[in-house]
Amino acid sequence: MQARDFLTLEGVSREELREVLEVAKVHAAGLAGGYDGLSLHGRTVCLAFFEASTRTAVSFELAARRAGADVISISEKGSAIEKGESLIDTVVTLDALGADAIVIRHPSAGAAQLAACHAEAAVVNAGDGCGQHPTQALLDLYALSKAVGGFDELAGRRAAIVGDVLHSRVARSVIPAFQAAGMELALVAPDTLLPSETGAWGLPILPSVDDALDWGADVLYALRLQNERMTSRSPLVPSVAEYTRYYGVERRHLKPGVLGMHPGPVNRGVEIAGDVVLSDSSLIPAQVASGVAVRSAVLALAVGAVRKEATA
Amino acid sequence: MTGARPSAPVSAVADDLVISGAHVLNPASGLDGVMDVRLSAGRVAEVGKDLRGTRHLDADGLHLFPGFVDVHAHWRTPGREDEETIVTGSAAAAAGGFTSVVMMPNTDPVVDSPVVVSGLVRRVEKESRVRAYVSAALHQGLKGERLTEMRLLKEAGAFCVSDDGLGTQSAGVLRNGMLYAKSAGLPVILHCEDHTLATGVVHDGIAAALVGVPGSPGSAEDVATATALVLAVETGAKIHVTHVSSSVSAALVGFFKALPGADVTADTTPHHLTLTDDLIRQLEGLYRVNPPLRPEEDRLGVGDALAGGILDFVATDHAPHAASKKELPLEEAAPGFLGHETAFPALYTELVQSGKLSLSRLVEAMASAPGRWVRVDAYGISQGAPADLALVDLSEEWTVRADLLVSRSSNSPYLGRRLKGRIVGTVVGGEMVYDGMGAKFEARA
Repeated sequence: MQARDFLTLEGVSREELREVLEVAKVHAAGLAGGYDGLSLHGRTVCLAFFEASTRTAVSFELAARRAGADVISISEKGSAIEKGESLIDTVVTLDALGADAIVIRHPSAGAAQLAACHAEAAVVNAGDGCGQHPTQALLDLYALSKAVGGFDELAGRRAAIVGDVLHSRVARSVIPAFQAAGMELALVAPDTLLPSETGAWGLPILPSVDDALDWGADVLYALRLQNERMTSRSPLVPSVAEYTRYYGVERRHLKPGVLGMHPGPVNRGVEIAGDVVLSDSSLIPAQVASGVAVRSAVLALAVGAVRKEATA
Repeated sequence: MTGARPSAPVSAVADDLVISGAHVLNPASGLDGVMDVRLSAGRVAEVGKDLRGTRHLDADGLHLFPGFVDVHAHWRTPGREDEETIVTGSAAAAAGGFTSVVMMPNTDPVVDSPVVVSGLVRRVEKESRVRAYVSAALHQGLKGERLTEMRLLKEAGAFCVSDDGLGTQSAGVLRNGMLYAKSAGLPVILHCEDHTLATGVVHDGIAAALVGVPGSPGSAEDVATATALVLAVETGAKIHVTHVSSSVSAALVGFFKALPGADVTADTTPHHLTLTDDLIRQLEGLYRVNPPLRPEEDRLGVGDALAGGILDFVATDHAPHAASKKELPLEEAAPGFLGHETAFPALYTELVQSGKLSLSRLVEAMASAPGRWVRVDAYGISQGAPADLALVDLSEEWTVRADLLVSRSSNSPYLGRRLKGRIVGTVVGGEMVYDGMGAKFEARA
């Protein structure tokens, strides 16, 4: 079975999304369902994290182990990377050692794609720079589908993506994925947190979360605002007070039928109010909880362990 | 806004006033001739012949212009009320025919927080004779580092943001400022000066060479202007370049404002249009100003750019200073000139009388064009526009003397000069806020 890379959601189709979410559902239920060969027994998954991560690293590791894979973890510290080994050489080494899938997290956009060019193993992008974070967007769609009653219920719903779009790999995966699922999107951010070409995605730009609600948002997807964007010598945002006033998701925004999302880690009281994070309108815990099943599904699809039954 | 309210006879339309017999010049509509203008409810109600009103002001032999608008003034409040206050600054503005003024934020404290802005807005309402708009700082403390809370500043009443007095030294920081100001919906007034080049206190020209005072080259302004304009075009922010003083900078403005996506305007000052660096040979601290007075070629180049519309309008950079900060050697003196009260007479005398600029273009550059910049609604002497007017006697000559100036300071570079043209009345929102002729309002049946 040929390896299948998961590098980007740019250009993803509705059917591809549906497939991943279906397989994830089967994993979540612990059933074979309409699929067989979900087990990663006897497969080797290598987690190559060149950048700090908590939830993504843990969730991939659990996803691989629960599905029965052997897991090797390397990080920058304590590996040959620290001695200056290049990304390509590291990937080639892991490949030669027999990895079936290499899960890569890297501080530079395009690292996963570069790795894929040099590996026989399937490469799964666990976040590269400000590029892509495909499994985040997939688990977001999984959690959201569940909340609204199914994948097909997503079509026509409106999501506002709020905050630091410029530096967000999550946004660059969420935008094409949510669009492929049939959702309508808008961005809510000051020009300092948007690409110079604000029209890059052809999406409306709104000046505040309140405006997003006027626009008809069903989902408020808050992005993490890194502290250095506010505290560096030349910050992109003047103050927490001003940011929260216009771009912070507050309890008052989450009227019935409006859901709050966030990829984590959360700056409570900055991009999202502390009392919203664990409220009934918040999908944040559900997003985290969806991570294992979705990543198991991605790994299974990546190594070709999933075969759809011929019978329908 | 206060100011002496004209005593009016008790009547159903008490504020109905006809200014009759003045030569009315309104460049925006091409109106140029002897007309009557009727004011009602703070607005221009009617322009025509033989108008009737409850009150009547005989302006025979005078010129009536739209009120002048100064987008660049330092009223030194808060912090240096010994040099100027809102009361004295606005009185000086009114005495110069100005009906709207933008107050710059380089005060003490700097106007960089919503509480300072709202405080100023409240004080302006109580203390200013003319319409006064608050410019907040582009960066906190005008340090060119951290952005101000522009959206909160706007909610508090800020009209625009500016880095005036210092300029922003890092192009990256300036770019972020423009982007954020654009999101906040605030225009940016830019002071263009590169501090790595501006190391002197006067223009680095022949006069500086001869007297041995350290000079700053024209490039100190030109390099920063070029940087600002490149960023303005790229970001699409609404930018106004203030006090353009060199031919090169004026040419740069002309080039960049013609590019697609540019939302750029620019002004120059009365002193850069009328004075040159020859004055520094007198070695008097009074003549220190920033940007510095430049050679004749620059004065002419800037004048041509104003005449041709490359520079959109005139702003005075009214900068009062205590005598103790001006009666010093050039190197120790504070930079800046008074501007409000001499702007029109100086420009009329030096440019219009010499045939270099038409009266109509001067009025456009002092009133119509900056009026459009600060107000979105109609500005000028046309029906429905705010009744903001300047009454001027073009025939009167006067000598600028410290005791004639209304400003709290007296650092005018025109002291002792004989100028032609005097403001005799200023009307804001239909109220006479400056009366230089002892106006009599006659009730008519």
